[in-house]
Amino acid sequence: MLKMHNIRKSYRTDTIETHALRDFSLEVNEGEFVSVTGPSGSGKTTFLNIAGMLETPTGGEYLLDGDNVSHLNDRQRSRLRNEKIGFIFQGFNLIPDLNLFDNIDVPLRYRGFNSKERRRRIEKVLEQVGLSARAKHLPSQLSGGQQQRVAIARALAGEPRFLLADEPTGNLDSLMARQVMELLEFINEWGTTIVMVTHDPDLARRAHRNIQIVDGQVSDLQRAVAAAEAATA
Amino acid sequence: MLELKPMLSALWRNKISAMLIALQLALTLAIVSNASIIVQDRIEKMARPTGMPVEDLIAVTFQPIAQDYDMHGAVLADLDLLRSIPGVVDATHTNQIPVSGSGSASVFHNQPNQEIGGEVSNYYETGPHFIQTLGMNLVAGRNFTPADMQVVQPNEDSRTRVAIITRQMADALYPDGNALGKSFYNSNGTDPVEIVGIVERHLGAWVSWSKAGNVIFFPRLVETNFKRYMVRAEPGRRDEVLKAVEKQLAERDPQRVMHIETLAERLERSYMSDNVMVKVLSAVVTLLTFIVALGIVGLTVFWINQRRKQIGVRRALGATRLNISRYFLVENTLIAITGVALGMAGAQIANHFMVSSYSQPALSLPVLLVCALILVSVSLAAALVPALRAANISPATATRSV
Repeated sequence: MLKMHNIRKSYRTDTIETHALRDFSLEVNEGEFVSVTGPSGSGKTTFLNIAGMLETPTGGEYLLDGDNVSHLNDRQRSRLRNEKIGFIFQGFNLIPDLNLFDNIDVPLRYRGFNSKERRRRIEKVLEQVGLSARAKHLPSQLSGGQQQRVAIARALAGEPRFLLADEPTGNLDSLMARQVMELLEFINEWGTTIVMVTHDPDLARRAHRNIQIVDGQVSDLQRAVAAAEAATA
Repeated sequence: MLELKPMLSALWRNKISAMLIALQLALTLAIVSNASIIVQDRIEKMARPTGMPVEDLIAVTFQPIAQDYDMHGAVLADLDLLRSIPGVVDATHTNQIPVSGSGSASVFHNQPNQEIGGEVSNYYETGPHFIQTLGMNLVAGRNFTPADMQVVQPNEDSRTRVAIITRQMADALYPDGNALGKSFYNSNGTDPVEIVGIVERHLGAWVSWSKAGNVIFFPRLVETNFKRYMVRAEPGRRDEVLKAVEKQLAERDPQRVMHIETLAERLERSYMSDNVMVKVLSAVVTLLTFIVALGIVGLTVFWINQRRKQIGVRRALGATRLNISRYFLVENTLIAITGVALGMAGAQIANHFMVSSYSQPALSLPVLLVCALILVSVSLAAALVPALRAANISPATATRSV
């Protein structure tokens, strides 16, 4: 599903060059639920941005669904993001001026669906996250947990095969966080591949696999375990 | 794909700043459209044909110092002298200088013994050389002959029985179009004055008069204590002729006060207030349009900065750069159309007031539409650069915490 090989990403100012990812290699299979952990500044968000084609890598190769996406132009990346990837952000990132229905409608409009198809999809995902009755409400009229469920609904409306979640429970209390996590697990059971960046070790453990990033690389310990598992197999 | 419904709903939630810009546009349109028709009216007024080769004409005014001055003899001698100067096409005496803002007028009727009604007209007291000197086009009838000329004292009853009039005056006196050979009368007058000739056009003494173009020429020399001449030079020789005229008239009779100027200078002075009006209003229109453009740039930049995160989210969800630019341009167009719609109504109301209270020209729909179109275009152009910059906001902004 996702294959990164020797991905590098550096940010340069006039005087300093920062290496956010260095020779970063990772493979995520179809249907997997992978959690990504690591200390602050380790490169988790950069990894997520490159995985979601929000940024382009400085070097290396990134294959999504078997296609090399490293050299696509902005328009092609936008289209691929819209069709294949769903995003769940830490701060929900709902558009405050739009009601729930219109928020979920945003990526569907960019996809070019007709209004009937958009309505069908929006009503379906709102029902899945249990917010059908609040379609006309503004985000500010919902609790944090409800807002995150809307964000999940927005990510799911395009029926993506790949869901990227950036600290999806970071702004929620433990009860809400558990509910959101259960929702993500449920979505993964339908077959959607999920990569979730989190600080929470308990949540990370609930994924099929946990990747730890340290200093812009998959940690050595992780590599050693992976190598040992490969040898045993 | 246009997002009109959610865009309108988002605008409605930020209606105060949107309405302020729309109102600014509305006010600008009301002012700009009304200023434009005034400017257009003044420009058309200044561009009217005068019926004369203004650039070739010289006006002379003199007053003798002596009390017992033979004005008739002086005029005949001066005109002979003027016509002999190399480069002079012709010269004539006149009671007034065309387009100078100073002249004579009276009410004339197409029936005798009329007290009310009639047509007001500027009139000249001049001679047979007047048509040639002022380069007018005689479209019907004949010029004056020496036999038509009358020499009278001031306050002496006129015995003039023939006149040449402009086509505009002819149409005013005889709307059926057959003025040549017919007569007109002074108020309460019984003595007919026959129309022996019709000239195509002549603006007369007052360029801002609503009846400018109503002009009558009488073959008459009134022996007033001052006199005026018009001198026509060959094309391109005016300045040379002016110097010669000044020198030779002074040499022929140094005992008089003389003022010589070109007709172009007089015309420029007559149109000075119109010129100032055009410049001031054009500056106001430009300034207002610039201010409204700045307001739109400011608002668009403010909204874009306020929505950087939202733009990043939209890009992350699949919006292309074009989608983002178009969003802001369409949003701006909606505000501009609202403002322009309000402005069109405001412009009509303001114009109605100006027409009824200040006799300003009426606002025509084409002028209003052109002004509206220009303002919408300015509004779009003002929003274009911020909208293009918004498109460069990285989709990665969506995942950044600041």
